[in-house]
Amino acid sequence: MTWLLKTWGAYVRLTTRFPVVATLTPFVPVVALWTLVAQLQLFPKAFFPSPLDVWRSFLDLTWKGILPDYLQDSVVRLAFGAAWGMALGIPLGLLIGMNRLAYRALWPVLLFLQAIGDIAWLPILVIWFGYGLVTMTFVIVYTVLFPVVLNTVLGVRSVPPVLQRAAQSLGAGRWSVVWEVVLPGALPNIITGLRNGLGYGWRALIAAEIIVGTSGIGFLMFDARRAGSVVEIFLGMIILGVLWYIVDSWVLAPIERATGQRWGLVTR
Amino acid sequence: MKSLTLTKLSKTYFDPYSGTRVEAIHDVSFEVAAGEFVSVVGPSGCGKTTILNMIAGFLPHSGGEILVGGKPVKGPGPDRGVVFQSFALFPWKTVLDYVAFGPKMRGIARAERERIAREYLAIAGLSEAVGRFPSELSGGMQQRVGVVRALANDPDVLLMDEPFASVDAQTRMTLQEELTRIWAQKRSTVLFITHDVGEAVFLADRVVVLSKGRVLEEIAVALPRPRKWDDVNKDPEFQRLSAHVLEKVRAA
Repeated sequence: MTWLLKTWGAYVRLTTRFPVVATLTPFVPVVALWTLVAQLQLFPKAFFPSPLDVWRSFLDLTWKGILPDYLQDSVVRLAFGAAWGMALGIPLGLLIGMNRLAYRALWPVLLFLQAIGDIAWLPILVIWFGYGLVTMTFVIVYTVLFPVVLNTVLGVRSVPPVLQRAAQSLGAGRWSVVWEVVLPGALPNIITGLRNGLGYGWRALIAAEIIVGTSGIGFLMFDARRAGSVVEIFLGMIILGVLWYIVDSWVLAPIERATGQRWGLVTR
Repeated sequence: MKSLTLTKLSKTYFDPYSGTRVEAIHDVSFEVAAGEFVSVVGPSGCGKTTILNMIAGFLPHSGGEILVGGKPVKGPGPDRGVVFQSFALFPWKTVLDYVAFGPKMRGIARAERERIAREYLAIAGLSEAVGRFPSELSGGMQQRVGVVRALANDPDVLLMDEPFASVDAQTRMTLQEELTRIWAQKRSTVLFITHDVGEAVFLADRVVVLSKGRVLEEIAVALPRPRKWDDVNKDPEFQRLSAHVLEKVRAA
């Protein structure tokens, strides 16, 4: 038993020195099982490639420059859409959260529009804007917007009114109250909204690329289906997962650690 | 430093369930002279917090007049500093930034407002805590910051709404002694709301007893300053005054 404990201890020390180990270890059995199923040839090789085949395809497409180009296209589209979604969503959420009239006027419309899913807009968007960047940006902005707005409203509502009173009695005007109290108080919820929005946006982007795209990861996968290349479909799926993990752990999690968790508003 | 005058102050609410008007405050008149410390004491529901909220400008008053230094109150403003029962600290500001917030709103440059904040924090013995966030402070320290924040903005009148009600008994006594000490240095005009009779008498120059939205009695407290609980507790005058106020509050 002691060797088990020692191994565990060594693993814990390893993960504290290299956190990436803790991220990768859970995938070891997944990849092992995948390799085993592929090696046993339970399915025809053309339908179920092994990890090694996918890795070779990754190197090949990277070498040819197709993958980097497509990846860049997808990421830029997402970033562009997310930036607009935030730029529109946060002020709109603040307005609806703080102003009764705005809430009454806009909330029902917002819920109505939220129900029309992102992809449900594609038919009409394709007719209006054609197969291009405008259509795709619209879909992503639309998808990111709602989670950001709804969570911002929730965040604004969750700021204790006494904090606004405190700021006012220290001489804060209307805009100072928004900037110094309402916005930071709502920030943990805004980040949650952004996290959901980006997650949905990422999926919507892939869907949009499949339907209207001429490049991007979604297009890569759909194009591979036409060519009957299962390897590339697998590759596309893996890239989606990896990319999302990177966005979440390199962009969103650090923001959360520096704000809500630091202030004691969110427990770890 | 200015005086605070309430004249025939009243507050009526409309109760939408019963469809009637409810009178919470009737004809309350009293004055806090410039540099005077006045406690308002009364049982739960007597309207003391409502009065404070109207003076602070958080609630509109229905009738009468509130004057600070002779000028009528219209909405919240930095001339009336408020210390809240729930502390009301901003979780996202460090102690230093928080105490410097009032001066910042007055447009004072960073170096100067941080100097002011450090000076006031030093008076309250909080120099160690400047870089910490509220969630990293004990309840007693949080309310010290709450008091310091209000004082650092140099208000004409300081309004305190049961500020020590949610800290433990030992810390409360320490905070009360500290408050009298700091007040002796700064001599601000203070209106202190509490339901604790001992606290009301210990701190104040004058105690206003409130009952069902009316002033029942005003009692002058002529105990010597600086006041320490160890001495004040044994003082027969303190015991007599406390017993008298308690009797009034219980009859209220």
